[in-house]
Amino acid sequence: MSAETRIDGRSLAPRAGETVLDAAARLGIALPALCRAPAGAPEAGCRLCLVEDERDGALLAACHTPVRAGMQIRTGGPRLDDLRRRALALLVEERAPALRGNPTGSEIERWMHALGVPGRGLASTPDASHPLLRFDADRCVLCRRCVATCADVEGAFVWNVEGHGGETQLRFGGERFVDSACTGCGACVDVCPSAAIVDRDRRASAEPTQRTRSTCGYCGVGCQVEVGTRAGRVVRIDGVTDAAVNRGHLCAKGRYAHAWQASPDRLTRPLLRRGDVFEPVSWESALKFLSERLDAIHREHGADALAALTSSRSTNEAAYLLQKLFRLRFGTNHVDCCARVCHSSTADALRACFGTGAASASYADIEEARAIVVAGANPTEAHPVLGARILQQTRRGARLFVIDPRGIELCSLAAHHLPLRPGTNVALLNAIAKLWIEEQGFDAAFVEERCEGLAELARFLASVSLEETAATCGLTVEAIRGFARALAAAGPALYVTGLGLSEQTQGVASVQTLANLALLSGAVGRAGTGLLPLRGQNNVQGNADMGAMPDLLTGYRDLGDASVRADFEALWGGALPAAPGLRLPEMLEAARCGRLRALWVQGEDLAQSEPDQTRVLAALERLELLVVQELFLTETARRAHLVLPAASVLEQDGTFTNGERRVQRLRPALVPPGESRPDWRVIRDAGRALGLDWFYPTSADVLDEIARAAPALFGGLADTRLEGDGLQWPCPTSDHPGTARLYVERFARGRGRLTAHAHVPSPEADVAGFPLTLVTGRVRDQYNVGTMTRRTPLNELAPRDWLELAPGDADALGLRDGETVRVVSRWGETQVAARRSSRLSPRTCFLSFHHPESHTNRLTGPQRDPVSHCPEHKVTAIRVERLA
Amino acid sequence: MASDRATSRHYPLDRVRGRLRAGRSLDDAVAETAREAGCPAAPLGAAARSYADLLGPPHATRVCRGTSCELAGAARVAEALAADGPVRPAYCLGHCHRSPVVLDPRGGVLVEVDPSRILTRLAKPAPLPAAPRIDCLAPEPIVTRRVARGDFSPLGKARADGAWSVLEAALECPPQAVLAEVEASGERGRGGSGYPTGAKWRAAARLPGPRVVIANGDEGDPGSFVDRVLLEHDPHGVLEGLALCAYAVGASEAVVFVRSEYPRALERMRIAVAEAERAGLLGERLCGRGPPLSVAVIEGFGRYVCGEETALIATLEGARGEARPRPPYPVERGLGGRPTVVNNVETLVNVPWIVERGARAFAAIGSEASNGTKALCLNVGFAQPGIVEVPFGIPLREVIQDWGATPCRSDELAGVLAGGPMGSFLAPEDCDVVLCWQALAKRDVRLGHGGLVAVHHDADLAALARHLLGFMAAESCGRCLPCRAGSASAHRLALEDLPAHAAAIRERLALMREASLCAFGRATPGPVEALLTRIVSG
Repeated sequence: MSAETRIDGRSLAPRAGETVLDAAARLGIALPALCRAPAGAPEAGCRLCLVEDERDGALLAACHTPVRAGMQIRTGGPRLDDLRRRALALLVEERAPALRGNPTGSEIERWMHALGVPGRGLASTPDASHPLLRFDADRCVLCRRCVATCADVEGAFVWNVEGHGGETQLRFGGERFVDSACTGCGACVDVCPSAAIVDRDRRASAEPTQRTRSTCGYCGVGCQVEVGTRAGRVVRIDGVTDAAVNRGHLCAKGRYAHAWQASPDRLTRPLLRRGDVFEPVSWESALKFLSERLDAIHREHGADALAALTSSRSTNEAAYLLQKLFRLRFGTNHVDCCARVCHSSTADALRACFGTGAASASYADIEEARAIVVAGANPTEAHPVLGARILQQTRRGARLFVIDPRGIELCSLAAHHLPLRPGTNVALLNAIAKLWIEEQGFDAAFVEERCEGLAELARFLASVSLEETAATCGLTVEAIRGFARALAAAGPALYVTGLGLSEQTQGVASVQTLANLALLSGAVGRAGTGLLPLRGQNNVQGNADMGAMPDLLTGYRDLGDASVRADFEALWGGALPAAPGLRLPEMLEAARCGRLRALWVQGEDLAQSEPDQTRVLAALERLELLVVQELFLTETARRAHLVLPAASVLEQDGTFTNGERRVQRLRPALVPPGESRPDWRVIRDAGRALGLDWFYPTSADVLDEIARAAPALFGGLADTRLEGDGLQWPCPTSDHPGTARLYVERFARGRGRLTAHAHVPSPEADVAGFPLTLVTGRVRDQYNVGTMTRRTPLNELAPRDWLELAPGDADALGLRDGETVRVVSRWGETQVAARRSSRLSPRTCFLSFHHPESHTNRLTGPQRDPVSHCPEHKVTAIRVERLA
Repeated sequence: MASDRATSRHYPLDRVRGRLRAGRSLDDAVAETAREAGCPAAPLGAAARSYADLLGPPHATRVCRGTSCELAGAARVAEALAADGPVRPAYCLGHCHRSPVVLDPRGGVLVEVDPSRILTRLAKPAPLPAAPRIDCLAPEPIVTRRVARGDFSPLGKARADGAWSVLEAALECPPQAVLAEVEASGERGRGGSGYPTGAKWRAAARLPGPRVVIANGDEGDPGSFVDRVLLEHDPHGVLEGLALCAYAVGASEAVVFVRSEYPRALERMRIAVAEAERAGLLGERLCGRGPPLSVAVIEGFGRYVCGEETALIATLEGARGEARPRPPYPVERGLGGRPTVVNNVETLVNVPWIVERGARAFAAIGSEASNGTKALCLNVGFAQPGIVEVPFGIPLREVIQDWGATPCRSDELAGVLAGGPMGSFLAPEDCDVVLCWQALAKRDVRLGHGGLVAVHHDADLAALARHLLGFMAAESCGRCLPCRAGSASAHRLALEDLPAHAAAIRERLALMREASLCAFGRATPGPVEALLTRIVSG
């Protein structure tokens, strides 16, 4: 017998592990494989991919039959056509009366048409309760692609099959789809072969005429998107299938929250304040006003009177140019960005411990991790695509450890969860380190070879009392010990952190005590380990990288080092100030005192997002010049003297750097509306108006200069090298492939530093008259201050901020769920609706800050980390009062 | 699908049932179990909702709707009992020699019923039905060596009869020797597929551990009841076979999966495992000196299809009870991804005999190409019902006429349903087939699990066909299109007008037979198609 393998007469060499379906696809032969989902094992349920082995006439399901040498496969012909026709007809009869054979219909309808199965096309009444997705049971063919995809990609487990035999049904767990656990990631839509599940945003519109690959503009994960546009509008956004970051997956925000782009209240012309009203002006007059006012204030009050805030939502190029403008033209280092109010503690801490203030690991380490610690982060809501990857790795057997005051979603799969009291990270992490050292549960060889400070740390930890720690953290000694031992036993872990560590008065110390654990367990520089801070905004990493910080230049180069300054002075062509500038909170303080007079704010809504809102507003009111580059007239923009309309993420060129140090391209999918312009261009033009000889025809020219400014990290970056998945810095030369994992051989600072920090109670702890502790944060269906998401259908899913209380606390107050309450802190008060949440421990409350009317940040106070100046968003003493 | 951490070791559905029995709601039971097992709740809940045992009223009376009971008037029994309280069907309770029977939930015991006299629920559980008559036509009994002589479930009595002594002796030999002996015996699986036992063991032993062995006590072909009798009266024989299997393949974990329709078998098996553990035969060290073996006894969930090994494994893992595509075979990737040997109860009871007496002695019994014996179960429709162990090579007619005392003639029998709903409907003239794997295959006769149900010459064949179609529609797992939609559609057509829709029904059955994923969908059409031929030509 010939050992040659043939499919439809064409010979091929079988590949290991390949199915007949794969092999046929390789030959360009399409088979109806309705139940084969990209994720998961073959379902083998639809039986439409049956093929025939000509040697014995055996029918084989192509989707799960391995190709074997000598097979003589026939994929079509009268027998198979007849079989498929009968099966499809039966399917329509039994299950899907709304389907109709149609050459332009869904995948299954195209097959029906091809095989001559007419279908019935009966009218149906889909479930349209959800603002993003629609489900039509009369089109469902029970292929279960959605079941596998929802389980094995998103991990939401919305779609499940219930019942058996002819009663088998696809269910979503609830009466109406909007009540299901659906996260709106849309992955099921992409695989549904019968259009039973469809996206509402693209259902009515025609196919896009143009598709543009770009980078998502929401969180710091940096998903690659394909933006479909038609007639100047976004009609759909899809994930890029082969992208390293997201592999085709997106979250609801990335996929569906784009209607803001065409919102009628987008800013389209520069607005100049005349008294109480804004007057639209030309760019020419706007730039003239801007340059004259800046110059005047500079002349009259000196360099310290001016400051700039770059935007973590804007590009590297914009951040780079704005800090350069203020340093070079005005001689001030008063430049900062909103990383100050999120991960500044993390960056400072990691720089001190390891030498670089960024993630040491890559997202790809998630899939290699055997143990994952999630500390002070809620990835399934705030970074859903990474949250899903962590969840899936846990399902594949990684041990998950959660440190968080709240019972976040990932807790359901966690081996251990320590619900500590807010503001007690340092105490808890010290206790774990103490147990490891005392019980010899650490990697002594790694510490000996690569770290320093063990003796001091051990001496300090010897004085730490486990009993006191447990009392401080609101935990038991047994729980802490169980966690510590299990984590030690699980081997070196990947440490995923968030603002729960950073936004504390002990923010830097929190991250450093966590870094102690990574160092003690040898969990740095190895596959599946490391520190992975989740960055909240698309380009918060890049803003810090670009030098939008008062004490560091581009590429974290030391401002205090004269030779570094000399490098920049040579590159930029002018003298640079040596004294570090003001940090964001200090700028606001200086403004309130009248020392700071001019502030350029690039796309940040200080009035809503900064803590201690009352004082922030006072500071903004006092400024002589407030310039705001924005998409919308935000609370901050309303208070500006000049508002400059900004091109959005969908409308400009440039680069973003994600949380794993990956520099990726964004590309314009649309032209900016009206006269709005990319931030970097406006800064360039302002620079010219201020007399600088700035020649940057394109954003790529700015990137070239960035590469020269910090060659050790960015020297190899170039527009032309960033196609596809971009590059992870450090990337020093034009032939360097980028760096996925830091510190494989050595730390950037030489040895990894173990640090001893005593727990210092938060000033917001145990405040008389304020018995509850408030944690602020984000929810899944909104993004930060909601400027974008509130203008999309996602707003229907989270139309208000909720104060969430532990059930016992709500009972003690006699609250009804949904009741509006007064929330009072020492810094201010507001009124919001309250409800019970079993995710909270007693005396801890949660409130998001997405809606301006909630005034969440009236409650948060002026407390900050003494090193990073990161505000304490995560701990505020409050009391809750019922309204009379 | 990504396999959820440790789920497979938790038997989550078993825990859900435990909580249901403790009075929790299904939602609560699922949520608590998911938390405990570290698996997502929604798929577990959906899976739970696919099992009759977890969905049905917990204290319903279960009326056996197996073919034997059906022919004996089970429908009327169910109707009469329904007036008095919740009733749900069982396929089947394994007492086909006394049909019709019901399972009374109060005492968990079987009640003999006379369909003509049931008006109300019995005031108290009635006495247990008599044990079936058990005989042997082979030179000596193998499978029925103990059960033919009574109840050997107490450990002491079993050991006095030699139980566990084969294992003790075998532990002196290397595992490879046990495997080689079983392989050489030529034993083939008694559950219906006839796959060589030794080859299955070797396939699993070849792959890296940990490995798992499973005694499949959920093969409930309506019409067969030998497994129930073995589990009830020779549980140590089953366990010894399972332990030999575990030793031979190098498994330290074993499961005995027993149908919920066999409550007494389940109880006896639980007691037997506990006794064997106390006696140091199982647990830390086999017989006190061998490798470890932990044995879990898990109750089935009332789904017929879970007798299929991949569906059984899915159930243990907390998934829907559905067949999975092969490859991978369970010996490659079974319970929780581990190499898993699933053996039928009767197959396992053969093992100690083979290991003790040797492959050659086993091969000496039976026909040239089919070694050993087969236990056949004759239902109440035969003049003499019961279990008869026969050597391979015997013509079926001889068993029916000589032992079953029923003439194989068309004025007596319309036919015999052999091997249950997945077997074959044999006309009297077809009963000349010889019991041997090759001859059966050549004639395309499926003997399944060895159950024989007599269909009398005056039986309503259309009603029987409708019953079988109803069984198919109810017990199809719902995974593959041809079986799920085909059985539902054919059943509906049959209820409407079976003779008028015969062609359409045949078309659906043909699709099922050709295209279904597992043996259930491929084999259940056979008997109905045979009946349709008789009805239409009739």
